[in-house]
Amino acid sequence: MELLHSTSPLVMKTESTRITDYVLGELTGTEREMFENEMATNPALLEEVRQTQALCESLSVNPESEASFSEEERAVLLTRIRGERLEATEKKSRAIWSRIVVYGGLAAAACVMLSLSVPAVTSSRSRESRQLASTEISDSTAVLPTMEGASTLTRQSDYELAAKAQAVGTLIALPLVAATSMPLDDSSRPEMERSDKQLQANLGTDHSVSSGKIQDELNQQLAAAPASLVAMDATAITSNLPHTQVPGERRAFSLPEKTQELAGLAGAAVTPSGDWKSKEVKRDGVPMASLSEADSRTRPDVKLNGTGAVFGVAPEVDVMRGYRPQQQSEFNAEGYDYQEENRFLNAKENQLSTFSIDVDTASYSNVRRFLQQQNQLPPKGAVRTEELINYFPYTYPQPEGTDPFSVNVEVSKAPWNPEHELVRIALKGRELAESKRPVSNLVFLIDVSGSMDSPDKLPLLKKSLIELTARLAPKDRVAIVVYAGSSGLVLPSTADKGEIRAALDRLNAGGSTNGADGIKLAYREARENFIEEGNNRVILCTDGDFNVGITNEQALVDLIEKQRASGIFLSVLGFGTGNLKDSQMEKIADKGNGNYAYIDSIAEGRKVLGEQMGGTLFAIAKDVKIQVEFNPAVVAGYRLIGYENRVLAKEDFNNDKKDAGEIGAGHTVTAFYEVVPAGKPLPDADSVDALKYQTPVVDGPKSETRNPQPSEAKPSQSNELLTVKLRYKQPDGDTSKLLAVPVANEVKEWTAASEDFRFAAAVAAFGLKLRGSKSVQDLDWAEIQKLARPNLGEDPGSYRAEFLTLIEKARRISGEDEDR
Amino acid sequence: MSDEAFFTQALARYERPLISYAKSITGDWESAKDAVQETFLRLNRENLKDLEPRLAAWLFAVCRTRAIDYRRKVVRFVSPDEGTLEQTADDQPAPLERLAQAEDRTQLAELLARLPENQREVVKLKFEAGLSYREISEVTRHSVSNVGFLLHTAIQTLRRQWNSSTQLPHLS
Repeated sequence: MELLHSTSPLVMKTESTRITDYVLGELTGTEREMFENEMATNPALLEEVRQTQALCESLSVNPESEASFSEEERAVLLTRIRGERLEATEKKSRAIWSRIVVYGGLAAAACVMLSLSVPAVTSSRSRESRQLASTEISDSTAVLPTMEGASTLTRQSDYELAAKAQAVGTLIALPLVAATSMPLDDSSRPEMERSDKQLQANLGTDHSVSSGKIQDELNQQLAAAPASLVAMDATAITSNLPHTQVPGERRAFSLPEKTQELAGLAGAAVTPSGDWKSKEVKRDGVPMASLSEADSRTRPDVKLNGTGAVFGVAPEVDVMRGYRPQQQSEFNAEGYDYQEENRFLNAKENQLSTFSIDVDTASYSNVRRFLQQQNQLPPKGAVRTEELINYFPYTYPQPEGTDPFSVNVEVSKAPWNPEHELVRIALKGRELAESKRPVSNLVFLIDVSGSMDSPDKLPLLKKSLIELTARLAPKDRVAIVVYAGSSGLVLPSTADKGEIRAALDRLNAGGSTNGADGIKLAYREARENFIEEGNNRVILCTDGDFNVGITNEQALVDLIEKQRASGIFLSVLGFGTGNLKDSQMEKIADKGNGNYAYIDSIAEGRKVLGEQMGGTLFAIAKDVKIQVEFNPAVVAGYRLIGYENRVLAKEDFNNDKKDAGEIGAGHTVTAFYEVVPAGKPLPDADSVDALKYQTPVVDGPKSETRNPQPSEAKPSQSNELLTVKLRYKQPDGDTSKLLAVPVANEVKEWTAASEDFRFAAAVAAFGLKLRGSKSVQDLDWAEIQKLARPNLGEDPGSYRAEFLTLIEKARRISGEDEDR
Repeated sequence: MSDEAFFTQALARYERPLISYAKSITGDWESAKDAVQETFLRLNRENLKDLEPRLAAWLFAVCRTRAIDYRRKVVRFVSPDEGTLEQTADDQPAPLERLAQAEDRTQLAELLARLPENQREVVKLKFEAGLSYREISEVTRHSVSNVGFLLHTAIQTLRRQWNSSTQLPHLS
């Protein structure tokens, strides 16, 4: 670390962070006292503290004024927020008073807009014309495209609304100042619209990123002006400073009729801008238009001072300090369910272990995103070890008989604990030649809300879907349903690849996520184009806020399950960051007999929708469950690695009503058990007192004899380690078929294990370590890398090589060899 | 206190520090503002009462994620290094009496810009946003002691560099 170059004898002391801690008020109690005592007797230390204090004061400056929203940006933000609140309020209850409050707030906002426009506009009007002249823009509409591209804000209808409200306000305000009356009838409409556009153009360029000559000139003029429109209005609205009492306010109060007209016009001035987006605008227009009614009732309560005015509520107390701090938790809008890892179970008491297969891979790409792009270790809940393992292709043999998949069991040593064994159960789904694939009927249900407007979301989604389209067979059909402010069918089901491409190209993000009945519409489209024995599937693509018309999660799950029963499956593709409702997405894909993939890059989109389309889209067996019976004569205990949220009760295995995972064509599924051989102690064994009224279960057949099974005969005499039993159904079947594979107690040395085994074991170790599992605490990142490195195999797609870089990243982030 | 009032106060209190912080990540004002806008839209959907005790850390944590999102978009156009140094002080004429102070700030900003990114980040969170070690730890996911360490390193580095630049009578 950096040391002071001062030659004082305090060099050692400065190595600790105490000086800084003290100055920043982070030393407490006795530490603080001791430090102050020391300071009193040590002038050199005192001097250092003094200097540090001075520096900290210099650093504690307010961010410059540029770091604040312009008035327009703030208006957009507040309009959107009010809009969302209004929707939420109306959904929850239709209580009249709450609407009055919100509408009253809107009315108050309109008042503020009006009143603030008065002083600002007069000065900005002339400046505006100067700007326009000097930059040779005679037709103000020419500026509009710049604005459209300038900012994501501008694509929101809210923005248009806010801008229009502003424009109308300007229009009315100007005559007021000039003390002339201007009839607000249809004859004035053209002029109004023109001024509207001018203002929009002006607003757009005020915060436009697209630099260039015009922008520079505008900025220079703005900066040179004594009080720019932006700065002045922004201050007036947001801060509580005394000077916000602009004279125009009183004027607004004295002119209620004009205010009402303004409110009405704000709604009426909205013009449809195209297709389904326009519905949203109109809908927003309705509450705005009805302002004038609420207006008169609520105005007496409205205090037009500073920030409170915007919502019709005056600020009262300092909210930032009002509450006692509570325990802190996860600080991210993303939602992850953390499930504790499976514990070691005593094989004598728990001979059976049952779980559903999981072919999801989303967790891996999400983990990769955290490590590579966000430079942080993923939250534990985001790490599902089985999904990390299943992310990679493995070269398991194809099935030979009539069953849709092969079962491959391999036993070796656990690399993180030489006393333990690792049992790998691997399934390989039969690969289908493209010609044998069933015909697909796909409905993409795509989130086009504003939050999707990020390069790693909608554009990535479009690219991925175009990749998919390129691989579709001639008979395959695709429909596209979008949802945002409203939902709509943008592409009726078609097999015409050109049409699909064109529809994808047209998709744009905009609006809030609130697609009424989006998911129902998608299912209806799938139903109408249902293909018998085909692959009928809705594919939900979202960044997490999939408010698809059904807000209640249970209702959503019910719908998905019902549709699944009638042969329409659901897959979920997750995109983007910050908002990802990982746990919920996995859950609903699970309910829909589908899979959940997280797409963080075009490479991943290609992998999921392109290369693996066979697996992702064509289920060859469903409700695949695995039950393992351990032979207590040779196994002291075991634990299942991963699959924490896939564990089933042992009774569920034979219950055909119990839903489980699907396996797709060519898919591989890998599961590991860590086994403690007989005679070895179980880690983390519960210290439960011996039972008083029962003798512990002894070896041999016991009550769990509901299932006919080969290993049941004489397990105590058998040299078998365990028996793997599987149940699966044909994709359209209702009754399951049972497979049983006995496994001999032959443990290979680590070096004799297959490459696939060793690589997958390294991935398992990686997952366990990311989850903070105690079992791998002695294994450091570098050692995991060493386990994986020799076992990359042919590595088509270089996924395994990439894994090595992830380990490296995790190592660096967690500072394994950092000198702290 | 209604949610709306809470909201506007949160906006008034944190708008500038958030935008400034986001800018230090994205490198440009537009993306920074977009990130902060999204953060507040996100806030709007949360239960504000629950969030209140940890509001600052929540805001900065969400904003950080968003800003990092935007950085990828922007990085092609603006090199983050040249983007981080604020240039406004040079552009705007300052009154004479404030000139010296402005020079100090410009110089400090230059020194600050030379710090490693993780140190710069905690300095911003500490001094512009006024977060505690603990809150900074929640935002950046560094441990609390590591936050203290990073801040200490940054501040002492700055102090040393500033001292050696001599021309600052109030610090010598």
